[in-house]
Formats: sequence, C-alpha cells, structure tokens
Amino acid sequence: MAAISLSKLNKHYGSLFHAVKDVDLEIADKEFVALVGPSGCGKSTTLRMIAGLEDITSGDIRIGNKVVNHLPPRDRDVAMVFQNYALYQHMSVYDNLAFGLRNKKTPEAEIKTAIDRAAGMLGLHDLLQRKPKQLSGGQQQRVALGRCIVRNPQVFLFDEPLSNLDAKLRAQMRIEIKRLHAEIPTTSVFVTHDQVEAMTLGDRVVIMRDGRIQQIGTPLQVYGKPANKFVAGFIGAPAMNFIDVTVRSAAGVTSVEAEGLRLTIGPADAAALAIHSGRRVIMGMRPEHLTLGSGAPGLGFDAHVEVVEQLGSEILLETRVGGATITVARVPAESTVARGDQVRLSAQAGRLHFFDPETELPIS
Amino acid sequence: MPMVTRPAFLPGLPNWSRKTFFALALAAICFAFAFPVLWLILTSLRPESGVYYVHRGTEFTLGNFKEVLGQERIVEAFINSAVISTLATVFSLLVTVSSGYMLSRFTGPAARMWFGTIYVFRCVPYISWVLPLYFVVQSWGIYDTYVGLLLPHIAVHICFFSWLMKGFFDGIDPSMEYAAMIDGCSRWGAFIRVAIPSALPAISALAVLCWLFTWNEFLFALILTGNRVPVITVVMAQFVTEMGLHWNLMAATAVMALLPAFLIALFGQKYVIRGLRI
Repeated sequence: MAAISLSKLNKHYGSLFHAVKDVDLEIADKEFVALVGPSGCGKSTTLRMIAGLEDITSGDIRIGNKVVNHLPPRDRDVAMVFQNYALYQHMSVYDNLAFGLRNKKTPEAEIKTAIDRAAGMLGLHDLLQRKPKQLSGGQQQRVALGRCIVRNPQVFLFDEPLSNLDAKLRAQMRIEIKRLHAEIPTTSVFVTHDQVEAMTLGDRVVIMRDGRIQQIGTPLQVYGKPANKFVAGFIGAPAMNFIDVTVRSAAGVTSVEAEGLRLTIGPADAAALAIHSGRRVIMGMRPEHLTLGSGAPGLGFDAHVEVVEQLGSEILLETRVGGATITVARVPAESTVARGDQVRLSAQAGRLHFFDPETELPIS
Repeated sequence: MPMVTRPAFLPGLPNWSRKTFFALALAAICFAFAFPVLWLILTSLRPESGVYYVHRGTEFTLGNFKEVLGQERIVEAFINSAVISTLATVFSLLVTVSSGYMLSRFTGPAARMWFGTIYVFRCVPYISWVLPLYFVVQSWGIYDTYVGLLLPHIAVHICFFSWLMKGFFDGIDPSMEYAAMIDGCSRWGAFIRVAIPSALPAISALAVLCWLFTWNEFLFALILTGNRVPVITVVMAQFVTEMGLHWNLMAATAVMALLPAFLIALFGQKYVIRGLRI
C-alpha cells in the first residue's frame, strides 16, 4: 500500500506537443482517484507515466516514499487494467493470472492460493482453463482485474477499462470495481472520459483539459463548486446550460437579463455580481435544478418546448428561451408536456452559477 | 458497423445460371494455372523419344525419375537446396522477427534509419544486385560456397520479409506487451514471452514463404555458385546442353522440385493463409 505523489510532471512529445503540463497531484494511501477529461487531455499519458510505460520529460513521480522516475514498469509494483483487456492470448486464463507471480518466482502452491482467492472474488472458477478468445468482453475484463489482484501490488492503474463494454455491462463492472476496492483497499488511479464513471467510482475526481489539471475534488465538490466553466460543463449529465446574461443592479436588487429571461438574484450571489453590473457574464443552470411551474418569485421564465425525451424515470425537455438559447430541463416523468408547448420553468435560488466570460472562472 | 450489402452480380439472372457462370470461370482460371504443371508431369513420364509428342504416345515410364535420381550431382543439388533453404530461413527469421517488431513498435531515429535502408534496398531491382554481389563474394573468397549463397539470401529475406513481419506485429495489440512489462518482464522479455508467441502463426507462415523463396530462387544461385555447390534450380537448367535438350529428365527433376511446394499446399495451406491474415 502506498501513496502516490506527482509534482510538476511534464510530458513533451518532440518540440511541438506538450501533452502533460505541470501536473501536481497527491493521492493518499488506499484512495481511489478518477482522472477524467475529453480525449487528448493527457489523462492516459499521466497514467502511463505513473506506470512507467512513458518517459517523463520533467518532474517527479513518487510511489510510497520512493522516486520512481526512471524505474522500469516491472520495478514499480503497480498493476494495470487496459481498455482492450490486454490478456495474453496464447495463455489460458490460469496462466494469465499466474504470469506476474511466476515472474517473481513465487512458489506454485502460493500462486494457486492467490488465484483461487481472486477467482472466487470475480467468479472466474469455471473459466480458468479457457483461452481469452473464448471469453466475452466482460469476462475478459474480469480476468484482467484478477491479474491485478493476484499480484497484490501497491497501486492499481485503470486505463479506460470499461470503454469497450456495452452500457449494461459497464454499469455492472463499475459496481464490481467499487466492491473490489472496498474489499481490497488499494491506492487506485482510474482514467476515463466518462464523467459518470469518474463520479461514481472516485473518492476524488481530477478533471483535466489540454494537459492541465482543472480541478481536484470530491464528486460533490466538483459538481457543486466547479473551478471553471469547463468543469461545470463537463461534470453532470445532461450538461449544464450556459446562457449569456447581462447583470443589472437597481434599487438594491440585482438581476440578470437575457432575451426572454429576467432572473432576480439572491443575496448570496448578488454581492459578487454587483461589481459586474452592466457587463455580460455567463450563467450556468443545471438541467436538474430547473423545475416546471412558477416556483419562487423572480426566478421563473417562459420556454418553448422543442424536444421531449421521455426516459421513464424523468423527462428531458429541450426548450428555447427567447430567441436562440437552448435550455435543457429535467422534469418528472408524469409531466404532461408536448412539443410546441409554452411552459414556465423556474430556477432555484443558490443553484445558479456565474462565470466571467474572459477568464471562465466562477464569480463568487 | 453498418451492414453493407453488395449488389448481386449479374442481376436479373436466375441463381442457378449465376452459379454455373462462377463455376465455369473458376474452372477456366484453375485450368490456366494447372495446365503447365500437368504438362510437366506428363512430360516427366514420357520416354525421351516421345517428349515432342507427349500428348500422342501411349508409352509411359518412370525411367526418367530413376535416371535423374541415379545422378549423384542431382541428389547432391537437392540436399544442398534443402540445407541452404533451411539455414537461410532460420537465420533470416532471427533478424526479421526482431526487425519487423522494431519497425512496428518504435519510432526513434534508429528505427527510421532502418526503415529507410530497407526501403532503399527494396526499391532497387532484384537483378541489379547480382553483379555487385558476385564481385563481393569473389573478393571475400566465398564464391561457390554455402556461405557465399546464404548471406545474400538472408539479406534479401530481411529486406523483403521485415515488412511482412511489421504488418503482423501491427495487428497485435501492444498493450499486451505493456501488461507483460508491468507484470515483471523487461522490454525484451515482453517481446520474447508475449509478442513472439502471439505472432507464432504469422512467423510459421513467414518461415514457409522464406523457405520456398530460397528453394525456388534461380538468379543468385546461378551467378554465385559453380560446380562445388550445385543447387536444384541451377542443375535443372543444365539439362540444356550442347548435345541437345533432355526435356524428359528436366521435367522429372522439376516434378521432384515441386514436391515441397505441393506438400505445403496440400497440408499447410490452412496455416499459411491463417498466418498471413494476422
């Protein structure tokens, strides 16, 4: 078991591409951290640098108290699960699981015990004699997990392990990984482009863009207090609605205006917004924080329903407010709303986000 | 992936006539390829007096084979060809497998230079190597020896088959090797214990191709060997003499020389095709 520490980590590919920029990250012992971001944001490169599969250009990586910058992967005591399973095709499942331990010259009897235990946890007992090609995607990924568990490493690294699975299986495996981490608490770094995976699995979530960390925080922190507009839009599904609004302050009342929309801002946000009076800012509203009906005074607005997506548990309404602004709202499944309807939506006080249009940083 | 349905060939015709068309077309193609071989076999079974009227006579004999196998030089040529083919295959594979792997997995300056070198060698027509090779082999004093023929063959194999090998490794997911490196292997360990076993079907297919390539090769053998190291392709051509052409004997030798390729087609075809598809 070990903590991981990345300090001022950089990765250049040639002189043109700066893939990872000054990444600083402290991962506590037994913590499960999810690295999330759009493709090309440097999250996989960061993971591969921790694994030792990628050289680092500058900075330090520590696992435990040891600087591992130049250690080959085999000496770092990490285990990794890959997107495409990466099972040894020419070996049986048993030999796949045993491979790492045999490399460490572990006695066969011990290997068997370790494999029995892992196979029990993952339900692999019936598959041990099969070749990877004879397994389904979900089974292959379970074997890949098993291969990590049997080695009992200091760190688990996951490189988009669920991306090749279908939606249902992905949800199952997510639970399985969560259960495994509870049973065998091991420091884990999980790379994904799927924010749902990141939010559900991570003790903390690290959001990256263009090689830089945007925010590090618990799922609740990154959802509730996004560090910038990018994080606000990236975390949450459906994504946050952004509307360009103009701030007005008159007679002690602060409000924001856009075409077809005028919201009165509560005292908490008003103080911060007051200095932006008369300027444009970006307002963010999460679809789940919009409700049908008039709601609190000063927070309602009219919207024209363009698309109705009935999900059974809820309805997603894609609406047009004023001239152009598209706004998505999550409303109860029983609501009787049809395409073309004019509805009243209302925002919740204290659930609105405001960003500076220049810096994209939150105004608060 | 979207399903793509190809439009039917010769639309409007009933199914049976389409099938007949394909059967006839296939038969015609097969015949075009098989005819020279069949004619060769026919010639090898006819007495010398009958070779110009192969299709007419009724006299058939195995005498040609007996006579050919009675010639020490021909037997020696078969043995030489087999030995040289086998050695060339073994030695070239040792290089080809790792060189193909490097071309597939590494992008550094060394890999680029190797890639460029191979590319240049491949661009030069095969025949233009013969004369310089002759001089080199002469000056090294290895003319008309095993080594003198082996080295050029190995070099050619490396140039031609590194590309095929690169293609095979391109088709094998590198994350398997990364997994092996994390699981305790060195870079070489991952190559030997994971990449090579995964490429084994392809490597065996390549071995077969290498072997047949050298077995069938004529030009290098003709120029780089003399009397001491007869090989089968050269010896076969020597039935053309001042005293006349012994077509029947040449055909008998050729039929025997066809055997390895024939056996591979018969028993190993499945594996060669599977290997080449990796």
